Amino acid sequence: MQMIEVNGIKKYYKVAKRDKGITSSVKHLFHRNYQVKKAVDDISFSIKKGEIVGFIGPNGAGKSTTIKMLSGILYPDEGKLQINGYIPYKQRKQYVKNIGVVFGQKSQLHWDLPLIESFELMKYIYKIPQNLYEENLEKFTKLLDMENFINQPVRQLSLGQRMRGDIVAALLHSPEIVFFDEPTIGLDVVAKEKIREFIKYMNETEQTTIIFTTHDMQDIEKVCDRLIIIDEGKKIYDGTIDGIKNKYANSKTIEILLENGEKEVKTFDINKTPMNEVMEGLFSKYHIKDISICEPEIDEIIRDIYEGRVALKTTDGKVGEI
Amino acid sequence: MRTYIEFALKKFQNKMAYRLEFFMGIVNTVITIVVYLCIYKALYGGATEIDGITFQMVATNFVISLGLSDAFKYNEMFLQDKIHDGTITNEFLKPVNFVFRMLSENIGEGLFKIIFNFIPALLFTLLYASLCPPKSILNLFIMLVSMMLGYLILWLISFIVQTWSFWLFSVWGIITIKNVFVNILSGSLLPMWFMPATLRKIISFTPFESIYFTPVRIYLGELCGADILSGMAVQLIWICILALVAGAFWKNGVKKLVVQGG
Repeated sequence: MQMIEVNGIKKYYKVAKRDKGITSSVKHLFHRNYQVKKAVDDISFSIKKGEIVGFIGPNGAGKSTTIKMLSGILYPDEGKLQINGYIPYKQRKQYVKNIGVVFGQKSQLHWDLPLIESFELMKYIYKIPQNLYEENLEKFTKLLDMENFINQPVRQLSLGQRMRGDIVAALLHSPEIVFFDEPTIGLDVVAKEKIREFIKYMNETEQTTIIFTTHDMQDIEKVCDRLIIIDEGKKIYDGTIDGIKNKYANSKTIEILLENGEKEVKTFDINKTPMNEVMEGLFSKYHIKDISICEPEIDEIIRDIYEGRVALKTTDGKVGEI
Repeated sequence: MRTYIEFALKKFQNKMAYRLEFFMGIVNTVITIVVYLCIYKALYGGATEIDGITFQMVATNFVISLGLSDAFKYNEMFLQDKIHDGTITNEFLKPVNFVFRMLSENIGEGLFKIIFNFIPALLFTLLYASLCPPKSILNLFIMLVSMMLGYLILWLISFIVQTWSFWLFSVWGIITIKNVFVNILSGSLLPMWFMPATLRKIISFTPFESIYFTPVRIYLGELCGADILSGMAVQLIWICILALVAGAFWKNGVKKLVVQGG
């Protein structure tokens, strides 16, 4: 059975439109023109238990709106949504018992109290049995290296420490599904790595279904099996990372070191010229000392997609699936 | 229930983190009460009673209503801030009732202030003025119950105004106006006894009389027997009415949030 089943959800916002100038400001007081912004426009997907899915898209693509609908704090205007047997926005109170949500930009910890007190509170909020609570707390603090700051007030913690605290707070009740909304935002390399390892660990050992949004492609490459790309409220890709590389990273770059010490860099499209031809051409033209073929970085591919240089939509308007 | 008690306790603990705020709170309450007592001492000008109201009764009224109104203060911009910075959504992601959570936390804060702010201030005030003892121990107990009902009325009024932040950009102004109304009409600045008869008549149709004045009268023994019951019945009726109004505002506010995304 699918853990998450999303079918054609839509969310439109009405945005008041205003022209420049004093006269239109005055007019705006009495009469407003509204513009409909399609934040999420007909998105469907399904996710199995134990999957770990990365959600990416440029700013304003509709990622957070989607996450909000999935976590039950926003009604979809249209479409069906079923998660873990619940309809999130209708059975919110029952549903939220089994999910965890981490917002990278909104802490849910008590500012004035030591971290451990916020965790204690979670025990009561989710009615976590004492033994499970202790077991999870011990495990998580060890995995995330939190022993030395767990007794400090949250306001004295660094961003990385606070983020780890937020993650633990959201996972203490062993939820079946966890939503991470930009969990690595603003963190240094070490803290990011810690968090990635932890997410991966939770997924592997507890079979936790994980959905997470990020702008850091390293997060996606290291953690996710599957990638969903959203742009302008629409799903434009759903598949593996290798899939996207194979399909859209058609251009390869070859660096050749010549015998006389000079360097040549060539870029070509493997769909147009097969590797054989390229190599033959190169060998006949140059005396080659060394050769290296570079795969395009996932970062670059994604940038191309965002900027519209690579169209993910096939000609018949279908979403590219691999 | 356990969860909500825990919320109250956490808030209680939270308050202890700020030592200076705690000491200044006592000083603040003592100064407010003593200033008002000085004014009324001057107004009495040596007379023991005016219109049958003794200075002692006035002093008692001030200590209870002013002292408690200090203790019952909390951050009324809480909901607005939560809505503005978006952290209100965090609250909907937990299997707890957010309104009851707010209430428990405010009660926790109130308890902290009663113990560490009101009671010390009361002791200091006793050095300066003598107060009426309660009519009887029973009256004292009934007064405590009535005081809790009064707190609920005060809280509900504040909550209703706070829910308007779902629609308004800032409720600060409205909260300030509301507080002026509460302070004047509940008799914590001008004792109800000295109000013009018509004004007092009007106030008796509002919830404001039920906040401090009903408990004060029970304490002093001005209300006895059936009057105590009817006084508390009025308190309960106001709680029901205000709770319904608060519920309606809250529901619509939340609906706006989940439908339009805030």
